[in-house]
Amino acid sequence: MVNIKINGKELKVEAGKLILDAARDEGHDIPTFCYQADLMGIGSCRMCLIEIEGQKKLQPSCITPVMDGMSILTDSPTVVSARSSMLEFLLTDHALDCPVCDKGGECELQDMVYKHGPHTGRHAEPKHRHHGKDYVLSPVIIKNSNRCVQCTKCVRVCSEIVGVGVLGSIGRGIHQEETSFFKTYLDCDHCGNCIEVCPVGCFMRLPYRYTSRSWDLKSADSICTYCATGCRVVIEERDGLLVRSRAQLGVGLNSETLCARGRFGYDIVNSDDRLTTPMVKKYGKLEPATWEEAFGAIRKGFRSSSPARTGGLISPRMTNEEIYLFSKLFKGPLQSNNVDSSMRWSPEAVEGFAAATSMTAGGVSIFDCMDSQSVFVVGTQLSDENPVVDYIVRRISNANGVQVAIASSRGMKLDSCASQTLRHAPATEGDLLGAAALLLADKDAVRFAGNADFNSIKATGIDTLAARSGVSRSEIEALVSSFGSSETVGIIAGTEFLRFPEGSASLALVVEALRGAGKKVTVIPVLDRCNQRGAWEMGAHPGLGTAYSREGVKGLGFAGMMNTASEGKLDSIYIVGENPVVEYGDGNFARDAIGKVGFVVVQDTFMTETAALADVILPGVTFAEKDGTYTNQEGRVQSINRLLPPPGDAKRDLEIISTIYNIFSGTDDVPVKKSAGIFAEIREKVSTYAKVDLSFNNEKNTFNDLDNKESLVGGSSASLSMPQVTGSAASSLASDGHAGFTLVTGNHLYHSGRLSLRSEILGGFIKGAIVEISEEDADRLGITSGEKVTVAGSRYKAELVLKTRKGSASGVAFIAENYNDVPVHKFFRRGESVASVKIARS
Amino acid sequence: MLTEKTLEKIKQIQKNYHSKKSAVMGALMAVQRDSGNNLTREDMDAVAKILDVNPVEIHAVAGFYTMYNWKKPVGRHHIQVCWNLSCSLLGAEHLISHMEKTLGITLGETTPDSMFTLTTAECLGSCGTAPMMQIGDDYYEDLTVEKVDKILADLRARS
Repeated sequence: MVNIKINGKELKVEAGKLILDAARDEGHDIPTFCYQADLMGIGSCRMCLIEIEGQKKLQPSCITPVMDGMSILTDSPTVVSARSSMLEFLLTDHALDCPVCDKGGECELQDMVYKHGPHTGRHAEPKHRHHGKDYVLSPVIIKNSNRCVQCTKCVRVCSEIVGVGVLGSIGRGIHQEETSFFKTYLDCDHCGNCIEVCPVGCFMRLPYRYTSRSWDLKSADSICTYCATGCRVVIEERDGLLVRSRAQLGVGLNSETLCARGRFGYDIVNSDDRLTTPMVKKYGKLEPATWEEAFGAIRKGFRSSSPARTGGLISPRMTNEEIYLFSKLFKGPLQSNNVDSSMRWSPEAVEGFAAATSMTAGGVSIFDCMDSQSVFVVGTQLSDENPVVDYIVRRISNANGVQVAIASSRGMKLDSCASQTLRHAPATEGDLLGAAALLLADKDAVRFAGNADFNSIKATGIDTLAARSGVSRSEIEALVSSFGSSETVGIIAGTEFLRFPEGSASLALVVEALRGAGKKVTVIPVLDRCNQRGAWEMGAHPGLGTAYSREGVKGLGFAGMMNTASEGKLDSIYIVGENPVVEYGDGNFARDAIGKVGFVVVQDTFMTETAALADVILPGVTFAEKDGTYTNQEGRVQSINRLLPPPGDAKRDLEIISTIYNIFSGTDDVPVKKSAGIFAEIREKVSTYAKVDLSFNNEKNTFNDLDNKESLVGGSSASLSMPQVTGSAASSLASDGHAGFTLVTGNHLYHSGRLSLRSEILGGFIKGAIVEISEEDADRLGITSGEKVTVAGSRYKAELVLKTRKGSASGVAFIAENYNDVPVHKFFRRGESVASVKIARS
Repeated sequence: MLTEKTLEKIKQIQKNYHSKKSAVMGALMAVQRDSGNNLTREDMDAVAKILDVNPVEIHAVAGFYTMYNWKKPVGRHHIQVCWNLSCSLLGAEHLISHMEKTLGITLGETTPDSMFTLTTAECLGSCGTAPMMQIGDDYYEDLTVEKVDKILADLRARS
């Protein structure tokens, strides 16, 4: 602690603190352009100049740390006049075309000149112009460098946070222009963070261009509904159309950052293809109907089916309230535990993953995880599936020197900040972690004596496990020793453990062994659907009730329902927001099976392939048209707010589900219109949600206090045991005959499931389906990136464009699960996510 | 395309540094010397690949320093006349107009035989010997019209 004076007031502040932060903490307003808490300080804009008594020159407070005895003046006449002069300088070459600038009305330069600046100019010289017309830099960026104030936040966010670094400052002095290499069209992540950090109208959104002035927009606080990171967004509409989704500085765990999906995937809401009226099948044909007819048909359809022959599938993109009520509908009035929310994964895989990542113990903040000395990223394609977590890991590991180790079969953007990258064969997370667990448990054999999972890997032996995973023993030893030298270990474990559930048992052993060695282990589960964790905690699982409590009778998971259906033994199914016909592994099987179900109700926002098979279609709404809460992967409960009315005759999903609930319960117990009432019930019935704090400060702020731990769910008294999982992925490869490449899948950077495919903006980023292999493999095959290739497996063959990826393991091919024209699951056997394929130039 | 000779030079330069990225300036200079005093976009791209950095970072380095010629092609001898305060007070502008006359070009242009390009530079840190100019790697100081004529004639004779 040091003693300083700010504007005459004596203070004690932490040594090394920036003067800017100390002054802002005291409530003094110091304007800045180039300063941003998350970025490296450069002190270039000179807006934050302050006076230190005894020093002749003014000092930039954003890069000057406090020192003992300093007397700082933030509002002295010299400082005030320097601020005004700096703004006058910035305005000498600023375009001042505010009336036609998209930023007008929300421009930091405008605000600053209004507050601190000279209101008249003295310069008569012509302004320097970088270029004439605005130029397009990417499908989403249009640029006008004449408005630039050279804060270089765009360049820094691109390299320091996003990690692609495709922007640079070209030239110097007034000629300096922040742009791409020779102003070429960008081939980047299209995240638009450069647009968001730009204080002026230099980087602008192309899709939003000239659609509105900021003061004509109506806005609502919401959550991005693609992956489960749970980024805060503000959605904005004009004349009934959603025109913008943006993040705010200092709001939510993402602060000002978002990925391409979060920032540009909003336009699904405006789609012309939205379902707007209920439909009921009459004489074999779906016809528009009234809600009374639709509910009448449902009353009749479900009444005639027996509980054991009724099933429900709800999308993990629905809100907690909707999922809670949906599960309650099935497990209550319909008396069936056949409820699922994870179509792609088996109920056992879910239990194993939840157990291994200690989800029952309650929410864990990503910032606590990153507070560890070493962080291990495993079983996740983090940079593609959860880009904002990738940003957080990059930012914090670079700033604090956290040791990052990444185990994956594909290369990822985050590799560049890792101190160790392990490249294992696909689907062998279990073997790799098994070997690590054996090495870790070497000294602690007693602990695991009675553990069946441990004994089984011990019988296999370290060397066999290492050989299967394709990672050398010495690399695994290096990983284990990096854990050994850290007192705190963070583990970020993702969806591969759900795709290949054999891995969860080993992950649990590694965590237990580390905890046994007295280390503080923080595990963050990483998921790819916004409310997947919430869905499980609301009891949308055939074996688990709310908060992971065990159900007395185990119901059927989605795979079980489909098997039953294919035998003609499922009377009715209610599907909300999912499209199994194209997304379930083996879609043709799902199509046939659903065709055999006596009565099918589909509730969705779009006319999907599954909806086409329905007897009743109920038009629901998107996140922009409803209220509710989502629980992100960390267990953070955050609310969304409605901005638009439902389109046409569509109803809010909660209203639909509660009406159906009331039909079958024979009461009017459930309020039909309000989600708050249901959340109050959740608080009462689901112990872990009792104390969750939903209040949220949505004021844009300059502080970087992003972690609202009050909104994390509490721990549950339930304890999950590691279930036995059947069907090893390795066996599927063996039976396929190894044919060159091992095909795996996951989410594409620009997409999340099939929903994002409805976004025209996101659709503009990639043309056609892509298969991805390592650079070395492409060289070996003599094929270059961008060529057309044929990918042939034993079940399916497709033509795609080849792309190379730096750092991927040899022999691994990747096709994202998001393409309509190449449904990757057709390559796989039902229930599996790995296959052998051949790749050749077509 | 970079020649074998240039690639070898870059390899040698890299040895002076711990990280690949640190060799950017030396590598760019090597390329510029070996390719007629100019840098092209393709050159920068090639250097980026060799040093494993994003091309825009190379562009940013080249764009910052006046010694890299990439905006438009320059002649064999690139004349950069300092026209900051000291040099201007001591007649830099006069020297510039003299050279414009004798070379038959205006500021920023190159002689038709690609021998000379005439540009200005901000302070080159040699105010004590103003007026001055830089041609290639060399400083020419305490200039007068006569001196300039002789320097240009010598350069022309040498090449």
